[in-house]
Amino acid sequence: MATETQESAKLTQLAHENPDEIEVAAGREREQLEGWIPALATEAEIREALEKAFDYRGDITITKKDGLQVVGYLFDRRRGDSLADSFVRVIPSNEKTRVNIAYSEIAALAFSGRDTAAGKTFEAWVKKYWDKKAAGERNIQIEPEKLD
Amino acid sequence: MAVPVSQAWTVATYVLKQKLMGRKKYPLVLMLEPLFRCNLACAGCGKIQYPAHILKAELSPEECFRAVEECGTPMVAIPGGEPLLHPQMPEIVAGLVARKKYVYMCTNALLLKEKLHLFKPSKYLSFSVHVDGQREHHDFSVCREGGYDIAMEGVRVAVEAGFRVTTNTTLFDGADPNSVRAHFDELMVAGVESMMVSPGYTYDKAPDQKHFLGRARSKKLFRSILSNRKKTWRFNASPIFMEFLMGKKDLTCTPWGMPTFSIFGWQKPCYLLQDGYADSFKELMETVQWSNYGTESGNPQCANCMVHSGYEASGVNYTFSSLKGLLQTAKGIFFSKYEDEGAMKLLNEWKPTSHGPLVQIGSPVAKSATELQEVSGD
Ligand code: SF4
Repeated sequence: MATETQESAKLTQLAHENPDEIEVAAGREREQLEGWIPALATEAEIREALEKAFDYRGDITITKKDGLQVVGYLFDRRRGDSLADSFVRVIPSNEKTRVNIAYSEIAALAFSGRDTAAGKTFEAWVKKYWDKKAAGERNIQIEPEKLD
Repeated sequence: MAVPVSQAWTVATYVLKQKLMGRKKYPLVLMLEPLFRCNLACAGCGKIQYPAHILKAELSPEECFRAVEECGTPMVAIPGGEPLLHPQMPEIVAGLVARKKYVYMCTNALLLKEKLHLFKPSKYLSFSVHVDGQREHHDFSVCREGGYDIAMEGVRVAVEAGFRVTTNTTLFDGADPNSVRAHFDELMVAGVESMMVSPGYTYDKAPDQKHFLGRARSKKLFRSILSNRKKTWRFNASPIFMEFLMGKKDLTCTPWGMPTFSIFGWQKPCYLLQDGYADSFKELMETVQWSNYGTESGNPQCANCMVHSGYEASGVNYTFSSLKGLLQTAKGIFFSKYEDEGAMKLLNEWKPTSHGPLVQIGSPVAKSATELQEVSGD
């Protein structure tokens, strides 16, 4: 679920237009989160940062208060009333398991993995296509990334 | 009839049974995503943006069968990722067919010709080939020159081998209705059983966040495409859903109608939005605040959505909710060409918009459309 900052373009559009009258729908703002290490000083900061981590398309690194580190993809979060009954669910990058971590156990968070969605806009493809076309290339395509 | 009678009968009896049991919320199609990796890298697709260890993960056949049994739908769609990259896909499909589920295996068809021998033709199995328009439009949409020719070769080979083949076309901002109609002609000439068409959607995880159709433009586009229908066209969609796309009918979203199961679990709340995952279908149904979703909810994430995963089940539900619904659906199937002079005018005067880069790659292939019309006899 996107945060309000991410949804602001849509919220602004909907404040002025009825969804059934919208010709071109607003997208959302994409934040540069790769490499970010949020402060996590207050409960609000912890909740906001973990919401963004849930939305992030790369791996994150969580350092727990007991000193253990978990690196992996944060695929879910369950928000409870307190930090102790809220938790994130992570698939570690080197194991085939799911790990649950309570918000209250988290000492530090880093958006450590590459943002796999960064730079993959349609505009970027259009530009690449026309540049390659102008250079006389044929069979122009975007290759899926190698997984090994 | 765009689907075999046995399938229509199975779906009708399933829906009526749910109604007789008094179930208000029941699913219609399971969207089973056994993997996320793909052999294309379409700029408009948010399904493939994951770290490598997630893209390498896949559901086992047993996990797939458990999910199918848990939710109990008569139809299973297998999107992805590209299902043909899953090494056990033939086993998964065979297991679903053995359970008498009507399977739509969604594929970009790049590997279809090569892997076809691993599957057996069955009334329960249909390859749903993703083709986003005529050659240039499809190639541009999937970010691969030559993609259209490979996909259509896959269609041809599968049709010749006796498989049921349907197609799936997603339209984004910049789509040209004249070209889409010519595309329908091409697909029908290629021998596909039926076609599905849906608007693209500005869902949060999509990397392209600019080229999405708003509801007003979607309705105009679909009205011009789907009115004045040719008698040769066959669609794989509820007539009521198609009337909704054309702006002729109001429907509210049925977000539980096509639940999605993947390596993460049951996706909350729908195929497009990712607001977390439930560990069982029961948990999904019981923990999602369903009233927070759908365009009418005021949720900005749902504001311009008209996609089949939210509204196709609404169309089916409308059909079976009253005699009026049944009669309107029957009329849509058997009699309605949806003649509409206004739509014809829209079609003739359609101006490419400046929003979509697709318009840069050429105008519709009108000549070939005319030729195809001659072939298809309209
Ligand atoms: S309107 Fe329905 S299908 Fe569309 S995004 Fe919202 S919940 Fe999902």
